[in-house]
Amino acid sequence: MIYMAMATGFLLILIGFYGALTNRNLLRMIVAFTLANTGVNIVIVAIGYMHGRTAPILDAAVTASAAAARIIDPVPQALVLTAIVIGLGVTALMLAYAYKLYERKGTLDIAQYTDLKW
Amino acid sequence: MVNALYLIVAALTAAFLLGFLNPARRSAAYTITLLALTFMSCVSASWVWEFAVNNAAPVDIFTAGTEPPFAINLRMGLHEAALTLLVNLTGLLSALYLKDALFALGRRGMAVLLVAVMALCGIILTRDIFNLFVFFELAVISTAGLMLFSDDSRALAAGFKYLIVSQVLSVFFLIGIIFAYHATGTLNIDGMAEASLGMKTGGSIAFFMLFIAVVAELKPFPANGWALDIYESAHPAFAAIFSAATGAAAIYATDKLLLIGGAEWLPISTGIGIVTFLAANLLALPQTNDRRLLAYSSIAQTGLILAVLGQRDILGDSAPFIAGGLLFSHAIAKAGLYWLSGLIAGRELADWAILRSRPLLIFAFVTFIAMLSGLPPFPGFYAKWELVHMLAGEGRLALLAFILIGALIEAAYLFRWFGYIIKREQTDQTIACTPFQITPILAAVVGGWALGLVWGDLSASHFGQSNLLLALPLLFALSFLLLDWLPAWVKNTLAIAGMVAFFTLTYAEYDPLRLIFAIIFLIGGAIIFLASYDAHGRRIGFYPAAMLMYAGLTMLIRATDTFGFFAAWELLTLGSYFLILRGKRSEPHALSYVIFSLGGAFLILAGFALAAQGAPQFDLTSLSQLTQPLAPWVFLLLAIGFMTKTAAIGLHIWLPGAHSEAETDVSPMVSGILLKAGLFGLMVLLMSMGKQQLYGVELTHVLLWIGALSALLGNLMAIFEEDAKRLLAYSSIGQMGYALFGLALMNHLGWLMALMFVINHYIYKSMLFLSAGGVAKRTGTRDMYKMGGLITLMPLSFIATLIGIIAVSGVPPLSGFGGRWIFYNAILTTDYRLPMIIIFFAGPIAFLYLFRLIHTIFLGQLKDEHRKLKEAPFWIILPQMIFVALLMIFAMFPGLALRRVDTYLNQFFPEGGLSWAGNTITSSYGYWNPIAIMIIVCVIFGTLFAWLLFVNRRAQKVKQFNIVFSAERPFRPETTHYAWNFFAPYRKALGFLVQPFATRFWGTLTDLLHTTADLTRRLYDGNGQSYVFHLFAFIVVVYLMRIGV
Repeated sequence: MIYMAMATGFLLILIGFYGALTNRNLLRMIVAFTLANTGVNIVIVAIGYMHGRTAPILDAAVTASAAAARIIDPVPQALVLTAIVIGLGVTALMLAYAYKLYERKGTLDIAQYTDLKW
Repeated sequence: MVNALYLIVAALTAAFLLGFLNPARRSAAYTITLLALTFMSCVSASWVWEFAVNNAAPVDIFTAGTEPPFAINLRMGLHEAALTLLVNLTGLLSALYLKDALFALGRRGMAVLLVAVMALCGIILTRDIFNLFVFFELAVISTAGLMLFSDDSRALAAGFKYLIVSQVLSVFFLIGIIFAYHATGTLNIDGMAEASLGMKTGGSIAFFMLFIAVVAELKPFPANGWALDIYESAHPAFAAIFSAATGAAAIYATDKLLLIGGAEWLPISTGIGIVTFLAANLLALPQTNDRRLLAYSSIAQTGLILAVLGQRDILGDSAPFIAGGLLFSHAIAKAGLYWLSGLIAGRELADWAILRSRPLLIFAFVTFIAMLSGLPPFPGFYAKWELVHMLAGEGRLALLAFILIGALIEAAYLFRWFGYIIKREQTDQTIACTPFQITPILAAVVGGWALGLVWGDLSASHFGQSNLLLALPLLFALSFLLLDWLPAWVKNTLAIAGMVAFFTLTYAEYDPLRLIFAIIFLIGGAIIFLASYDAHGRRIGFYPAAMLMYAGLTMLIRATDTFGFFAAWELLTLGSYFLILRGKRSEPHALSYVIFSLGGAFLILAGFALAAQGAPQFDLTSLSQLTQPLAPWVFLLLAIGFMTKTAAIGLHIWLPGAHSEAETDVSPMVSGILLKAGLFGLMVLLMSMGKQQLYGVELTHVLLWIGALSALLGNLMAIFEEDAKRLLAYSSIGQMGYALFGLALMNHLGWLMALMFVINHYIYKSMLFLSAGGVAKRTGTRDMYKMGGLITLMPLSFIATLIGIIAVSGVPPLSGFGGRWIFYNAILTTDYRLPMIIIFFAGPIAFLYLFRLIHTIFLGQLKDEHRKLKEAPFWIILPQMIFVALLMIFAMFPGLALRRVDTYLNQFFPEGGLSWAGNTITSSYGYWNPIAIMIIVCVIFGTLFAWLLFVNRRAQKVKQFNIVFSAERPFRPETTHYAWNFFAPYRKALGFLVQPFATRFWGTLTDLLHTTADLTRRLYDGNGQSYVFHLFAFIVVVYLMRIGV
């Protein structure tokens, strides 16, 4: 199960990179990167997962004293939450950029934005 | 002490506060922003004070009240304090600079700026790897936000390219983090380092990903196209932040990360760093856009610092001193230059000529490029010195060579740019700028000089060097910067008084050899300064440059260790470069001068470093204790380095242009005086190291050949010159060849002859340059064939020239003869036949060109346009007359100067000295009585002259055209005075010897570099996807090199 999840995650990352490198459309590139980001999140969660344990929530079912033996590591999950937030911010910013770029030149083709070079 | 957490709290609070403000209240928002940044700068500054002055221990800040690994911790130590100070100050000053842009964008723009600065502080402070990632992402987002400040519409595309690359990097960062966490069970950087991540299963792959993600932020070659575009299109104030602050933060992050990676990752860091340093500097060569040039330079400097971080295994405790010196020099200079670029309307390098309307800004520019080139007295200089010494001590010579080559290329394009500023055409508009824009630039200048003082102090206390900024000659020279508003004659008087006073105070400290040089540099320099009274107005920039050169020369002869010697060498190079650049058409010549000189200086640096073998301090006298196999290499490096200054053949191509295009009073300074610095270096070298053999070749023998060939070819090139000052310049190459030959003979008389040449050449070359300059000033040309018959109009100049050429040619009775006499004695004692014959030949050739100075300029037919000329100005004539008197005295009493030296030389060459009895000087081959010769020659000359006057007393005066030849009556002076291409037949016979082989060789080399650079930079085709592709290529290469298949 863990390996399945991890393989899926890496596959998503590769698909994302492939998509970002082969699509010249800005929006498609952004989508490709969100795919890759999702893949990263899956990988992180997969690594934090421990077989046969429960979610890291302390309540009546899992008391604080028993927690260390019964819950999975909460750190990767916390990381994923942060990474999702950051990914959201960056994606929003990229979309805003794409919009502005389109406003300027009327095209979403990244090969058209090569005024700066050499 | 204020908790360092407030750096982050203050920025965030202010940013949130801005959100609550009424958008229309821009001034209030701006005030809040400035206050927050000021507060943050003060916090950092107080910590710097605490650590640097009170030696406090680093402080850990535990967030959530728990120790790591259960919570994030931040650390504030000296390095963090200094770096956050740099970041906060850059932010504050850029905020000042950005005033108009911030007002236009409103509170949101200010909030983004605050977040950017906060994120960079966070990168520096945090000890948690995931926290590092978060701050990096914050920096990315705010960078993309700040890109929108730019007026340049291309900035949008640049920002997007940056976001694409950072997306790829964030994937690597996160995957790296989770695997590293999986392997070590902690997110704490120090914890990971303790758990030695690399040892764990999959640990090295995890670290590889972290490493890539952070190192890519340092813009390694070739994965740096995105950064170039950002630098080029961003608002200059943001480019300043991006270069200085973001760069510093990324470097410190890499430094922290390398703690985890351990020693195995150091070589690859060095590799990436040095490749980036070389490539970026090379690619900067063909740049004409100012901001893109600065971008390449930024990337190069960051690469150099990365290479230094990779050398931590041998640098040890000195690593912060070196990396810090380079980093702060780079950051301050780059921020300053970007701020300056905001004042310039055009984007071409030559557009910066507008700076000429503001001398203060020129000074700022000079400060910045000197900092970038690692010139004294700035931190980069001390850092470079220690770095090179440590590398040489550990035998990492290839890296050392690459660093020096890259630094030379960088200096070349920076000084080329400076040449444009000083010499290119200036459009008549002036710079429009507000105090808000000037303040940051001036603050950077002050910061640069202050850090120079700090690093000098550190270097003095840790490595036993001297703090250059406390050296009296340098301080005196720098004080002329403050006095530049005074009229030229006041400054001239001060300069002369200072030099004479310094000599009177110190003359007792020199040994006889150094005393001769001290007299030439200080007293001789003062005499030449008399000619400078002829200049009017304020002559902005002349005195700081000239005094810098004299300060360097003075420090050179006073230096006892290699550090002092090298620092002096760089100072005099810099000063003389500024002087030479002042000539009207001297831009290309000054550039080739400074490149050759810095190249030579780097060879000297390498030689000294090799000799010291890692010792931080090395006395010049200890050079004599070097042994095989090191000694000949040190000798070779130093000798070539010194010969770039004496313009030995092959390294001479800068000299003719530099000396002839210089101003009238500068030519004698750089010829009569500056060339002697090279000879002094060679003397020190030969005196301490003597004869060295490399692969069985006697190196002094090679020098002998170089000297002989320089003499022959220098003289030959001189005879074909039409330009009086160029002729004199080529003649200097020949004269220096003689002196080199004498030194390389390595015997008593050879050295005495070389010293005789040192004195003679100073006197007559200064005199001839002054008279040629005076004539050129009056006639408006330096081409000799356009003159003629000036003897009656400019009699004093004529006398000076006549005496000068008698002295140069070495005929009795003047001092040149003494030189020849010792010279012939000297070569009779050695058995190098062939070079001896060559140098004999060079003698008569000298007659050929010297005679033209009299024949073409002063004799023959007066040209129509010159009929109303006056004698050269008084102040130019006066030193010439002093030189005439000096020559006469030195001719009659050579013992005044040489006797003590002769005795002094006995300790090095006990054999073959001269004996000085009364007025007679005796060698083993014969004797020479200068006074008797003078009397005999004067009697013969007087008799003949009287006889001539007697027989001519009834001669009829002939008018200019009262002649007929070839059945024609000439009607123009040109047809009666043959002077152009005078030695055409000789050119036919010997022209093959004076083909510009050396010029062609160096020209081809620079063309090759330019072409390579121009082709390689097409790599950056501007497409964001290509940049990602470069990044992947970079990642694959690093993977293959570090981890393997």
